[in-house]
Amino acid sequence: MEILIKGGYVFDPINGVKGEKLDIGVKDGKIVEASKIDERSAKVIDASGKVVMPGGVDLHSHIAGAKVNVGRLLRPEDHYISFIKAITGVKRSGTGKTTPTVAPIGYKYARMGWTTVIEPASPPLKTRHTHEELNDIPILDKACFPLVDSNWFVLDYLSKGEVEKCAAFIAWLLDAIKGYALKLVDPGVAELWSLGKGYGLDLDDEIPSFGITPREIITGLCKVNRMLKLPHSIHVHCNRLGIPGNYTTTLETMKALEGMGDGIVIHVTHAQFNSYKGDNWPALRSGAPEIADYVNSHDHVSVDIGQIMFGGATTMTADAPFEFALFHMTPIKKWAGSEVEVESASGIVPFKYKKRSVVNAVQWCIGLELALLIKDPWRVIPTTDHPNGGPFTRYPRLISWLMSKKAREEVFEKINKTAKRRSVLPDIDREYSLYEIAIVTRAAPAKLLGLEERKGHLGEGADADIAIYDLDPAEGAKDPEKIVKAFKYAYCTIKDGEIVVMNGKIAKTTYGRTFYVKSKALGEDLMKEVEEEVKQRFKEWYTIQFSNYIIDESEIRYPEPIVVGG
Amino acid sequence: MKSLKLTLVTGRTVEQGVEGEHGKLRDEYAEKVAVIELDSEDLGRLGVSAGSPVLVKTAHGEVVLKAIAAKGRHPGIAFAPYSPWVNVVIDSETDGSGMPTYKGIEAEICPTEERVVSLEELIRKHYGLEVDLSKLAGQEVSGGEGGEEQLIKDVVCPFCGCLCDDVEVLVKGGVIVEVRKACAIGSAKFLDHRKERALHPLVRKDGEFVKVSLEEAIEEAAKILANSKYPLLYGWSSTSIEANELGIELAELLGGVIDNTTSVCHGPTVLGVQGVGTVRATLGQIRNRADLIIYWGSNPLNAHLRHLMRYSALARGVFIKGRKDRKVVVVDVRETPAAKMADLFIRVKPGQDYELISALRMAVRELDIEAKEVAGVPVEKIYELAEIMRTAKFGAVFFGVGVTMSPGKDETIENIIRLVQDLNEWTKFVLCPMRGHFNVTGACNVSLWMTGYAFGVDYMRKFPRHDPAIWTVTELLSNGDVDAALIVASDPLAHLPKEAAENLAKIPVVVVDPKFNVTATIAQVFIPSSFVGIEKEGSAYRMDGVSLRMKKVVDPPEGVLSDEEILSLLLEKVRELRGA
Repeated sequence: MEILIKGGYVFDPINGVKGEKLDIGVKDGKIVEASKIDERSAKVIDASGKVVMPGGVDLHSHIAGAKVNVGRLLRPEDHYISFIKAITGVKRSGTGKTTPTVAPIGYKYARMGWTTVIEPASPPLKTRHTHEELNDIPILDKACFPLVDSNWFVLDYLSKGEVEKCAAFIAWLLDAIKGYALKLVDPGVAELWSLGKGYGLDLDDEIPSFGITPREIITGLCKVNRMLKLPHSIHVHCNRLGIPGNYTTTLETMKALEGMGDGIVIHVTHAQFNSYKGDNWPALRSGAPEIADYVNSHDHVSVDIGQIMFGGATTMTADAPFEFALFHMTPIKKWAGSEVEVESASGIVPFKYKKRSVVNAVQWCIGLELALLIKDPWRVIPTTDHPNGGPFTRYPRLISWLMSKKAREEVFEKINKTAKRRSVLPDIDREYSLYEIAIVTRAAPAKLLGLEERKGHLGEGADADIAIYDLDPAEGAKDPEKIVKAFKYAYCTIKDGEIVVMNGKIAKTTYGRTFYVKSKALGEDLMKEVEEEVKQRFKEWYTIQFSNYIIDESEIRYPEPIVVGG
Repeated sequence: MKSLKLTLVTGRTVEQGVEGEHGKLRDEYAEKVAVIELDSEDLGRLGVSAGSPVLVKTAHGEVVLKAIAAKGRHPGIAFAPYSPWVNVVIDSETDGSGMPTYKGIEAEICPTEERVVSLEELIRKHYGLEVDLSKLAGQEVSGGEGGEEQLIKDVVCPFCGCLCDDVEVLVKGGVIVEVRKACAIGSAKFLDHRKERALHPLVRKDGEFVKVSLEEAIEEAAKILANSKYPLLYGWSSTSIEANELGIELAELLGGVIDNTTSVCHGPTVLGVQGVGTVRATLGQIRNRADLIIYWGSNPLNAHLRHLMRYSALARGVFIKGRKDRKVVVVDVRETPAAKMADLFIRVKPGQDYELISALRMAVRELDIEAKEVAGVPVEKIYELAEIMRTAKFGAVFFGVGVTMSPGKDETIENIIRLVQDLNEWTKFVLCPMRGHFNVTGACNVSLWMTGYAFGVDYMRKFPRHDPAIWTVTELLSNGDVDAALIVASDPLAHLPKEAAENLAKIPVVVVDPKFNVTATIAQVFIPSSFVGIEKEGSAYRMDGVSLRMKKVVDPPEGVLSDEEILSLLLEKVRELRGA
């Protein structure tokens, strides 16, 4: 199908288009020059008075896999309150608000104009499960990040200083389980949690079983990441997450990777949870200015904010001891803990962020401070760490806060007053422009993921993933409620050249691809040697056979390998 | 005449597993499952010898079973394998949980002059249907002649939730000639998969089964479903994730109910997790680290034969090198085979697991228990177990349907999860349900990610709803709520309580299964399918949630399609009939 999108205000930061009126052509699933489209036979979409952007890209949202599914299991109450009905031939049904099932994940992202979403934490042994869920999510393109920081092969190689072998293992692993980038969660903590320890693990604490520190794991895996020329940097949930005073650990983590090479070498994820000042919860203050200062003066770091949204959430993370601690802090007495042999652990606790809580109100400020104080929009991504800070469906509200000081002030009216005194947010005047919104929700995450050739822009040859919002850039962009409405229900979403959303409603169910990375950076001999070593120990360490660990491409609905380093 | 009041417990046995895999229409199946195990003391008190028939009476019915001597001691308790026979005396009441009480039932047992009826007679007597099993008996599928020998390694066994993936299968001329490393039941499943096979789709016409083409069978089946106001789609735990996905799509399209066998095994476990959460670990984590293993109401030596060697009591792990490094505790109502190898055996009174767990939670917190004994267990023993638990470095509880099927159900499970959560204040403790069918964990998982609920999902309003008190197989059938059923890879008539089974026999039923099973005898349409994990590849989930790829090691019999293919055809036909 050919599509011509006529007369919209186009925001395409990668190509430097800042709201000019342009026509966009779509042919065979790709963007083409508008002049190449035959207007008589093409589907013409009148976008005059509307905003046209590339499809949204979310680089951190827990949408699939074992822990997400346990989250669903744990929360029938979350499913009774939210559902979508099936329309035969058009859309499938589903349920869930903070832990939605596959259909609402795909549809609700698409209705907001998002078309690519990454699952950021998958234990390798359970990644077949992750892929099976990703296969069933409609519309979106996807990928998943394997958890590697407590993997025995990684710890063993790094503790012996065998960084090259560690790299070979990682290259093998990514290909074997079809993963995209390296995820570190409270680096090293799962290994300690196997012994019931690990809460508060700091950068230079030793993990006795391997005689290694989180600092060594992070720097080691950062080197590995660069050796393999992986498209995304290491993706790090820093140590001491969710513990007052942790902003120093976050600063130290970023400092530890200075001089590791050109460009961005670490992505600090959901940094809000790691930007806390104060000695205890009642004394919680924002550490965001310090984190933002550091990011502003160093170009090797990118962050996503992990904004909290007032209301219900389901916290789920591979930071198992943190969840166990949270279990004791919340009145909703549900806790699902889980451990995966050789690799990882996790925990899930339902949670509610309350406006009247000092802590939650300060947390709310911190996320926005990060987004507003970090100057370079190419390195700060608004996320809610779905569903930890709140569901991704709250992005339109988050965007309105970024774009409007008035919207933020309205929130201050309703939340705990102490928060105002403990943060600098009330003094920040910055308001994002639509162009900056297009950067932080599309162009920048695509670029950070190394997908900028095909995602996050509207230049010729890009995947035809397009969002059209019913918003007048001049007038509408000043009214928070209009912003929320426009981003909540896109006028039109196009995925791979097909109209999947029209007038805010699902028009068609399609299924997207799953990206994974094959690194050819290392020599074949080394790769073979390490594969043999892995095979040798596999039997002793795991309870499944080596050959059954490997996920075949045929198990993925639309596999899309990204070959690097060759 | 002498009679005894005993507590009836029904459950799984190795023989029942092996004979079930071979074929349920054979006399050998009846021989092995229409039995009741009685303690020698109780046999003496009744004055009957092993091998004699006894009449078993409960508030819900009576049936004649053959008395046999129990291997372990359990005076006061009568044990019977799950079967169409013993189901006749089981109540359909589920107390809102969806789970009938299969265990801890008050029963009166007395000697009788009557004999154990055959399956044909049982179906006639209880379901009012005439079937000639000799006509329906399957046939052995012959293989190709000669041919190369091929050893296929790392095959995943499609029998139980252990999903052992190290099995080696020797294939010659397209036939499995040898199975290595698998347990008795797993081997039987591979070696007997060609025996007693039903090869032709059947449709009942004027009360008689008639061989029809696949097209006709699909058409008939689709008509039954499309014309139904409210169909039930049940089974799903012995087939692939891929087939489950299509089943859910079909339920959504039909506006019916889809339920998997979880509702009659670990349904209460799911409800317990919904209530309070869980503490899980993969089996390797337990094998590598657990110095305390507790089997609670689970019977691994009869239901999960390689579990002890591969994952638990006897397994060699990275830090725990085997049995000598571990303490093993068994909590059960009877002395199971595993109890004999345990360091500590705790005999709990049937149906009183909840009380024992509560007492243990008190003991773990060092609270005073005022009673001298709880649930038949002396308080000193409870404190001893609490101390063993608290001082373990890494403890794991493997609980089975002995807990889930007892009165208390999800309340009991919530309590045992709370016990394990409590223990994490002192040490590491996890628990793992001993799931039965090889992919019942997968059926729950795929149902969760597509509907938000693990089992018992209703689509009447075109979106998923869940309430175990309404939309589970036993409730729906015993209340007469559904007007047609599609049964895939399961045999509910062999396992459901009397009223539910009776009502299933009253509605049009479509059965899709590799073998002509007990449910098929009352079906309107029977469509033979291939075995997932033997003749068809697909994904399945181990009891701890690890997903594995099942292999295809031999071709299915000619003309026999997979569940996936059959369901795709059904979907297409139903769409056509419904004009969608």
